[in-house]
Amino acid sequence: MTDIILSVKNLKKYFEPHQSFAQSIAGGGQKKLIKAIDGISFDIRRGEIFGLIGESGSGKTTTGKLVMKLLEPTSGQIFFNGEDVTHLGKEKLKEYRRKVQMIFQDPYASMNPRFKIKDVLEEPLIIHKVRATIEERTKMIVKALEEVKLTPPDEFMGRWPHMLSGGQRQRVATARTLILNPMMLVADEPVSMIDLSTRAEILHMMRDVQKELGLSYLYITHDLSTARYFTDRIAVMYLGRIVEIGRADDIIDNPLHPYTQALIEAVPEPVTGKIDIIKELPIYGEIPSPANIPKGCRFHTRCPYAADACKDEPEPELTLDGEEHYHACRRAYEVQAERKKKQAV
Amino acid sequence: MHMNSLLKVENLQMHYFTSKGAVRAIDDISFELRRGETIGLVGESGCGKTSLGTSILRMPTPPGRYVSGKILVDGVDVIPLPEKEVRRNIRWQKISMVFQGAMNCLTPVYTIGRQMMETLNEHSDLPRSDAEDLIREYLGYVGLPPEIVQRYPHELSGGMKQRAVIATALFLKPEIVILDEPTTALDVIVQAQIINLLKKLKKQFSLSFIFITHDLALEAEISDRLCVMYAGKIVEMGSNAQIYGAQGPKHPYTERLLGATPRLFKKVEQLQFIPGTPPDLIAPPKGCRFSPRCDKAFDRCFQEEPPLIEIEPGHRSSCWLHQRG
Amino acid sequence: MNFADMKYRLSEFWSEFKKERSGLVGLAILILSLLVVIFEPVILPWKEANSKWRNIDYWQDNSASAPPAWTNAFTKLKAPETVRLEKAEKEEAELDGGVKLVTYTFDYHYGADKAPLDVIFHITGHGDVPVQVSVERPDGTTLDLAQRFEQGLAGQDIRISLDNDGREAAFSFIKNYESAEALERYSGRSLRTGDILFNVAREGMAMEFKPLKGTYKLVVKAMLLDPENSSVENPYVVVTGSVSGILGTDDSKRDLFSGLVAGLKWALLIGLLTSAISVLIGVIYGIISAYFGGAVDSVMQFVYQIVNSMPVLPVLIVISAIFKPSIYMLIAVMVLFFWTGSVMTVRSMALQIKEETYIEAAKALGAKKSRIIFKHMVPILIPYSFASMALSVPSAIVYESSVSLLGLGDATIVTWGQILHDAMQGAAILKGIWWWILPPGLLIAIMGMTFAFLGFSMDKILHPKLKTR
Repeated sequence: MTDIILSVKNLKKYFEPHQSFAQSIAGGGQKKLIKAIDGISFDIRRGEIFGLIGESGSGKTTTGKLVMKLLEPTSGQIFFNGEDVTHLGKEKLKEYRRKVQMIFQDPYASMNPRFKIKDVLEEPLIIHKVRATIEERTKMIVKALEEVKLTPPDEFMGRWPHMLSGGQRQRVATARTLILNPMMLVADEPVSMIDLSTRAEILHMMRDVQKELGLSYLYITHDLSTARYFTDRIAVMYLGRIVEIGRADDIIDNPLHPYTQALIEAVPEPVTGKIDIIKELPIYGEIPSPANIPKGCRFHTRCPYAADACKDEPEPELTLDGEEHYHACRRAYEVQAERKKKQAV
Repeated sequence: MHMNSLLKVENLQMHYFTSKGAVRAIDDISFELRRGETIGLVGESGCGKTSLGTSILRMPTPPGRYVSGKILVDGVDVIPLPEKEVRRNIRWQKISMVFQGAMNCLTPVYTIGRQMMETLNEHSDLPRSDAEDLIREYLGYVGLPPEIVQRYPHELSGGMKQRAVIATALFLKPEIVILDEPTTALDVIVQAQIINLLKKLKKQFSLSFIFITHDLALEAEISDRLCVMYAGKIVEMGSNAQIYGAQGPKHPYTERLLGATPRLFKKVEQLQFIPGTPPDLIAPPKGCRFSPRCDKAFDRCFQEEPPLIEIEPGHRSSCWLHQRG
Repeated sequence: MNFADMKYRLSEFWSEFKKERSGLVGLAILILSLLVVIFEPVILPWKEANSKWRNIDYWQDNSASAPPAWTNAFTKLKAPETVRLEKAEKEEAELDGGVKLVTYTFDYHYGADKAPLDVIFHITGHGDVPVQVSVERPDGTTLDLAQRFEQGLAGQDIRISLDNDGREAAFSFIKNYESAEALERYSGRSLRTGDILFNVAREGMAMEFKPLKGTYKLVVKAMLLDPENSSVENPYVVVTGSVSGILGTDDSKRDLFSGLVAGLKWALLIGLLTSAISVLIGVIYGIISAYFGGAVDSVMQFVYQIVNSMPVLPVLIVISAIFKPSIYMLIAVMVLFFWTGSVMTVRSMALQIKEETYIEAAKALGAKKSRIIFKHMVPILIPYSFASMALSVPSAIVYESSVSLLGLGDATIVTWGQILHDAMQGAAILKGIWWWILPPGLLIAIMGMTFAFLGFSMDKILHPKLKTR
């Protein structure tokens, strides 16, 4: 079990909706809980890039925040390095945050606009009281900047965040996490706001750093196509549950859950001959509110394959199907057959 | 003039006059939009594609001003027209626009219906009851139930808001709709749904689209022809088949951009990217503007600006490589 | 934050501030005021106006309720201005018996149409010193007006007022020109010395004043009976006119210009100190309230609302009446109420900043609450607080003036409000002493406006900056 760095066990996070005083009287104290995360379990192996895929509202960002301990879970457990980190005291939490770092989606908002790059990178050192002298700190900042290939470092240190491009900022954000020598990074859509032309460059940089330093990543994204290149394994989330989990290639080449299929079908491909075709998506409508999760399989309201059992019977659990490939669909075989038929045509 | 030509942009130059100098956001751009056609404007952020969109709508963002060139709508140059005339006959009547992030700019304190009504009132004198009917009708066209008018923006999903914004752009039966990154903030599934909707609406109302995005993969789904922009200029222009077909694009920039577009089903070891950043448009580099980032650049590229020349029927590209043989 | 960053931000701020006309006017007045405060020792006509404002002796050579000197420009008969003569010609002579005679001669150029009210000689003496004063008029006549013999002096000031001490001599002077019958009508006391001294010598001079213009030699002679042990120094003469200084005098003979200049620094101090402390408290209070939220927020908002709904002036008046507070106490009490001014705005801004990703990023890095508040939130709200500070300066000044106006101010300093209070007590309005009321009133208004201008301009520039992207 030592090769597992992070283990999440049946994690749940329910939010209480904001209610006015009048509403709480009228509602008689009955509140509809928002079930953002509704019992998820996964393991991240040492040195692995683990992708968490889902639409907005699927709970992927909440999962990231729970792992980062920016939110307290309603129930369930998180183990880091074999140690239970679900509830931590002040000192332990600080120690944990030194080992687990986060890169945020919006590189424009994740840095205080009044901090220079040097100040941004110095902050973790100050917080964790690493290295006393300014010279030593500066040395570490220079090293971190070189690691993310922002050269010459001296030049970047004196700049303001607004003077950098999105890609450069995301490099700084990465450098900020690396400076404390973490063991794991949580990256929440790190490239979604960056120009396509440089997106790959950032991903390469992140992967180089990962290989070099032996890091593990929890990579949260809605973009399957970058996930395929970047991650080793993928978990697909829908409405607070993991519906499919497996190796990146398996998930994309052989999706077993209809939701994963829909996600894959929806991705545009830069090939010609599609202008006059209206894409047939194997999915209906839009994602329901997490305050109103459908009974039975939570995907059945949108699923073209749904049978009566999907509506009435309890939600299917993740089941193993193939090597390291789990799915939560009781009609997976029918789904697969249907899809193969369609592909053949 | 071509009979089917709906909009013709001729040698348009639009610069932003800032305290640091003139930013040449649109620098000598010409293209033609035919009836029933979708033209894709694609390029990195800051290449001038949004500026081109607002310029065509004759509302360049200050401090932007037209420097030269013409924008011919039905053969009439709209640049010298008085603002009143543009508002009465062109903007929203002939050309409308779905602005980037418009769905997130809806006022949170007003209902969707009220905000749609405001746009309608601004551009037409329709009586109130007729306007309400019109709103309901168009909500139907974009696949939204009529009750939506009483909802507030925060009660709707991103996809629903974007549908409402698209409905608003269609009210006055424009012939041209400029769509600026209409799906950027949306999830893939919703994005695919919106693209489907746009295709349907285009046929239903015989519209012509100018589809602006940074995503080449998305353009492949919808655009008949593509204009690839780089640093305020069009570097390549061709049909969907010419750009995405077996032969592939001709300009190194388009080539690299396509290479950087991740493909779900084509497994490659390394994703490509374009190193460096786009140039400063106050003082663009001498010669070809892409030359500092181009791995195929040779002496001439750094000296002279390449012209946009036709390399095969309907396919233009501005690169010295084409003339090198 | 280092100096270069500061400079960058300041230059950025300045380039926008330059476009605000009212702000520039405010800034100009503020700079002018600061210059006046810095150069106060040079500017003050009465150097000890600060410490001796309530000392009657210090002001006794002035005339009471004298209008400003420049009012002469609007009157037909020019009134003489109060002047202080310090340049004297000194002569020393050895007399028989080892006695030394020291003579100081002052030149006074008289050109007004009305007689000065008084001529007052001052000299500092040591030991036993007989002093005699005389005046040589432009027509050549010399009047020995008064003498005094002071003994056992140890550096005291000998003051000889001709109006008091020279009346006898002056009366005997007109005897040379007026008939006995005419003199009968004047009992020596009812004629002022000045009316005789500066009159053209003629019959009927007691009846009518006709100015004898020209240079008067004012002579003071001191006899040093024992030159070893006695001496005189520092002679000066004050010719008390009926107009005085730049802004005239009040009914206690105090020079109002000196009072107003001395009061400027207190106005600035009260305004700036009160607003600076209260805004600082308000900003931190608002941020803490927003950042911690929940119960902390509720309690803090409750306290805020209680303080905010208390009327400031009545409480201030009651406290001042009971404790007779010093100026610093008064500032402290004002701070107690003024801090609420910026709380609500800061709280709502802080609520917004709290949700920014970079705050979450700092949390994820393990930053403590205090670091997030003071390193990330306070610096962003500081510029706003400058604007709100400038805006609360006027009310601080006005409140102090109000308390002073009621006679409850700090009695050890001069403030504009106190001058106004004195004017009210002295029935200045009834007596038409406008120069006692208008200048302090206007200054309070201008100072308030200055900071309001500054505040509004800064608010306009700094506020949108909060949208940090």
